[in-house]
Amino acid sequence: MKVVVDGVTLDLPPGTSAIDAVFAAGSDVPYFCSQPYMSPIGACRMCLAKVGAPRKDRDGSWVLDEATGEPKVFWFPNLMATCTTAVMEGMVIDTRSEQVKTAQNGMIEFTLINHPLDCPVCDKGGACELQDRAYEYGEGISRFQFAKRNQEKHHALSDLITLDRERCIHCKRCVRYFEEVPGDEVLDFIERGGHTYIGTLEDGLPSNFTGNITDICPVGALLDTTSRFRGRNWEYHHTPTTSLDDASGSAIVVDGRTGRIERIKAGHRPQINKTWIDDGTRFGHEYAGAPDRLRRPLVRHRGELVETTWPDAMGFVAARLQEIAGKEIGIAIRADATLEEGAAARAWADHLGTGQLDHAPRPAGGVIHGGGHARIEELAVAGAILVVGDPTEEVPIVDLRIKDALRGVPPAPQFDHGAPIADLRLKERMPRRRERLTVAAPYRTDLMRHAGRTARYPAGGEAAFFRALAAVADGGEPDGAALGMDAATARAAVDALRAAETAVVVLGGWVLASVAASEAAAQFCRLVGAKPMPLGPMANSYGLELTGVLPSHARYAYAGMLAHARALVLSQLDPAVDPAVAQRLAQLDLLVVHASFLSETAKLAHVVLPAATGYEKDGTVANLEGRLLHVHAAPVDAGEARDFTGVVKAFGEAAGQRLEGRSVKSARRLLKKALGVDLDALPEAGAWAPARRAQARVALTTHAEARPAAPELALRVPSMARVEVLDRNPHLRAAIGGPALRLHPGDVERHGLRAGDEVTVSVGGVPRRLVVRPSEGVPPGLATVPATPDEPVGLVAIDLTRAVVERHALEVA
Amino acid sequence: MSTPTGPITSRFDPRFEVTLYRHVGVEGAHTLEHYLARGGYRAARKALTGMTPAQVVDEVKASGLRGRGGAGFPAGVKWSFMPPVDGRPRFVVCNADESEPGSFKDRYLMEDDPHQLLEGMLIAGFAISAHVGVLYVRGEYYLAYERLQGAIAEARAAGLLGRGVFAAEATEETPAVAGFDFDIVLHRGAGAYICGEETALMNSFEGLRANPRLKPPFPAQAGVYGFPTTINNVETFCSVTHILDRGAAWYAAMGTADSKGTKLYQLSGAVARPGVYELPMGATFRELIFDLGGGPSESAKAIIPGGSSTPMLPWREDTLDLPMDYGTMAKVGSMLGTGGVIVIPTSQCMVDAMANVVRFYAHESCGKCTPCREGVSTWLPKMYQKLLAGLGTRDDLDLMEDMVRNLRGTAFCPLADACAMPVAASFQHFRHEYEHLVDHGEAMFPPRARWTA
Repeated sequence: MKVVVDGVTLDLPPGTSAIDAVFAAGSDVPYFCSQPYMSPIGACRMCLAKVGAPRKDRDGSWVLDEATGEPKVFWFPNLMATCTTAVMEGMVIDTRSEQVKTAQNGMIEFTLINHPLDCPVCDKGGACELQDRAYEYGEGISRFQFAKRNQEKHHALSDLITLDRERCIHCKRCVRYFEEVPGDEVLDFIERGGHTYIGTLEDGLPSNFTGNITDICPVGALLDTTSRFRGRNWEYHHTPTTSLDDASGSAIVVDGRTGRIERIKAGHRPQINKTWIDDGTRFGHEYAGAPDRLRRPLVRHRGELVETTWPDAMGFVAARLQEIAGKEIGIAIRADATLEEGAAARAWADHLGTGQLDHAPRPAGGVIHGGGHARIEELAVAGAILVVGDPTEEVPIVDLRIKDALRGVPPAPQFDHGAPIADLRLKERMPRRRERLTVAAPYRTDLMRHAGRTARYPAGGEAAFFRALAAVADGGEPDGAALGMDAATARAAVDALRAAETAVVVLGGWVLASVAASEAAAQFCRLVGAKPMPLGPMANSYGLELTGVLPSHARYAYAGMLAHARALVLSQLDPAVDPAVAQRLAQLDLLVVHASFLSETAKLAHVVLPAATGYEKDGTVANLEGRLLHVHAAPVDAGEARDFTGVVKAFGEAAGQRLEGRSVKSARRLLKKALGVDLDALPEAGAWAPARRAQARVALTTHAEARPAAPELALRVPSMARVEVLDRNPHLRAAIGGPALRLHPGDVERHGLRAGDEVTVSVGGVPRRLVVRPSEGVPPGLATVPATPDEPVGLVAIDLTRAVVERHALEVA
Repeated sequence: MSTPTGPITSRFDPRFEVTLYRHVGVEGAHTLEHYLARGGYRAARKALTGMTPAQVVDEVKASGLRGRGGAGFPAGVKWSFMPPVDGRPRFVVCNADESEPGSFKDRYLMEDDPHQLLEGMLIAGFAISAHVGVLYVRGEYYLAYERLQGAIAEARAAGLLGRGVFAAEATEETPAVAGFDFDIVLHRGAGAYICGEETALMNSFEGLRANPRLKPPFPAQAGVYGFPTTINNVETFCSVTHILDRGAAWYAAMGTADSKGTKLYQLSGAVARPGVYELPMGATFRELIFDLGGGPSESAKAIIPGGSSTPMLPWREDTLDLPMDYGTMAKVGSMLGTGGVIVIPTSQCMVDAMANVVRFYAHESCGKCTPCREGVSTWLPKMYQKLLAGLGTRDDLDLMEDMVRNLRGTAFCPLADACAMPVAASFQHFRHEYEHLVDHGEAMFPPRARWTA
């Protein structure tokens, strides 16, 4: 459609909003209430412009201007809010006339009369939309002579978010966000007129996606409590990077100041996370600045670990390794290590001549198994989705993109100025197509609230679930017990997948953990013509499997090397949380631990090397879709911490050799040979990893899949918050209330427990300190416990009868 | 005296008869028995058993009936905006949230003649193929609520609401009468002026916060629960009853070129006999105020023609001779609104009167959009407070005029305009009173006890 903005003629697709036309033309109007990826509502009235359009006669021809012979432009009687106006053929938009300027000026004045203008002490100062727009479009003086509204300035909406009600300009972005994006209606306006304010029910903000409101708040009303009063915006160093907290590959921006990470904000990656991230990703960074971070290498001297230098530490390692046969040495890295770290580990293993190389956690079924994965963009427009798992906790962005599919509005194309500021197809309170979504899990998951069909199959029964569903697809009788849903529901779920043009089956960790379940799932996907979306357990599970950071033989896998190797190099892994493994590790000839903290395993090590966290390294990861994405190091003061390429480099220096993989650059040379992709030249949006099968050096290992023969079972479940560092993330810990031991209320009572009890209990042989949370959503006889990288998802034994209970209560004397 | 010819524009025209308010004030008129005995539900029977929905819409179009809620949009045209029947639910909504200061016509229609309204809604439901009517009644109208509740129960019992209305009346000649399913949901508001705005009303009915919705989509596309909806005022539905009963031509014979039919005018303020008067469209202020209202009770200086949101007109001979119709009121820079005519006495300080109006709109602003929340609800009332405290300056007057200019046409819904327009008019016609107040620190017309007998 031909549209003229301030004299610039544009050709825009129908349905474009006038505000996007204005920005596409390089003009500008201020706006506070519109927000990309959310419905435009026309509340702030800042984007007013003079708008006109030609009219057609009854006979369909344009009404012509007698003077010019051109179609006559009829101006709308009032200025129009461009965010809620759709372009029309021949529309003329004027943003520069005196009338528009006066109105913009007037609206800024109205907006500011009750705004405290406490910019000098406001965390948003310097990055504030209101501040910028007031400078650009305001008069610079106030004619308001009265006392401003006094309201609460430090209202804790939750442990993570603080609301300053005086600063709020009622743009409604946060209220709309909760309803439209995660579908958790936890915030609303209270009162009316000039008394309107934002508030919640009494129980905080029960949602996994609360932090995004601090990004979209156009003023300093909603603030990230972890970073409040920590720095001014112009002092922060902004590092756009990729989150390593889950396998989504979400874009984040790490804001650091004087060597400390102060906050994390969402980055913009339209293909993956749009502009949203979950609270685990946003608030889970405090551990990187924890006081007990390892900052220097340690070496065991007379039984004690003492600080030393990298050359000394690695000199010790090199000397000791010379005494051990190469094949007796095992190297294992955590699955959120970068591709470059993986390449370095593999180069080092090759140099040592060992096949004992692995990454962990690595699900038995693999994450690339079968291939043909759905992309996140396909998920967001899928006509039918089956979820087996708990993506809200496992890869939360997948949860949000499923909700996009339920809204049924495909992503809009990006403009040069980014995502549409006002996508007129989006509305408040849109009806959701719940019938598109089927969710199955052993307990009640959060996503089930949004699903048209739900199933609660027996824990550990993923393989049986998929086999039973395949039987339904084949026209057989449904096995209700295995499916956890009735026959009609199961048939409807299968039919929906079959009928949909794009059908996606989301495979959570429990499916991938089992070879049988993975194969049954793959078979089912083929049967109904659906694309699988396996949720890898960690940020680079896909990439490390793809590039073959794998053992040369099944018995050399991680579990095998823990049991049999004479020397181990473990990066960021902490297997010694299991006392049985700890006993074995204590007998090793050499244990080198590369870790950020003095973990249980590090305490047993001969040499401890300080490890960079995910915020402190450069590299590349492949997300769950197989999309290669860059990770950039934020300028954080982490002492002498290095990533794994640094470990290889130091070893080479100590051994007097220039090893491959000694730097990111060197590792990328290896990866270029292996993948045929130049990782130095990755575009901003990433690139697809080559679509070939993993360079697996071994067949996927098959673990015993028998259900633990214990009186009671615990299901280790994914957790949005990284439990292994939760104690070092105090704000996040306070918000989620500690790692939860969820039990059916009847079981809580049966074991003499109470809600909120802190218990130490053996879960799968590992002592865990957990907080008792009764939940009707957990079936009787099952406990759920959050998984960690060292205790990945799956069914294990739990011994609740020997739980040690600490009860915190006020005792009145 | 010979029968006049031409359109009926005076209540004293012998051809005119009181129609909408015929039963108002009559003991027992709210009962179905009373209503049926006087031809009640005859119009609905005629429409439902002998006409097609399209014919009903055409009849309403031909009558020239314009919506009586204030905006005056042609009712038949509004009905024809409904999309084709597609199996989705459709709604007809009656806006009975009469809240505009100076308006009190719907109240008595509902209290004394509820069946007239129910019949109009039934006809409208049939015309737009909606099987559910929503009657959103102002929370303060408790008697009206009770009467409507009773009337709906009576109508249901008599088969005039519910499944298969008039199905029993199928005959050999008209076997096609399958009966029309129609029922009415009665919903009480909770005391918010903004709920009179049609989309805010729908939000409120749905249990949501009463903020106006974005238009488009208009209610015909997405109204109650997102389904096609037609919404009209109480008086509009009541008029429909008579249009169907007596024909479009009878209705169109009353009124002026752009405003047809009979209208309820509400007279209040400084007049001898305030009240609701039914006149044909195009009757003059003089007829309403002098011939019916008994003239001003004291010297008057302004007339508000259509409820507190409409700009006032100065009290002059030529004003009194203006016909009270949509076109004329627009031509002189005001609006017919709801027809709530308020006579402002000379002794009433105009600043004080406007402060009262502004305080009302300030209290009723929903807070959704910036100009209304900050201008109407916060700043403007504070300015009036300052003026009335004798602390205002000439600069303040300029500021207020400027602020009101900024409020005009910039807000999300008409509430800000409803506040800004009368204030702007008061500055236009009575700036000298504002100036006197700021120059002398006291009002030209000091406050006095007004409502003592």
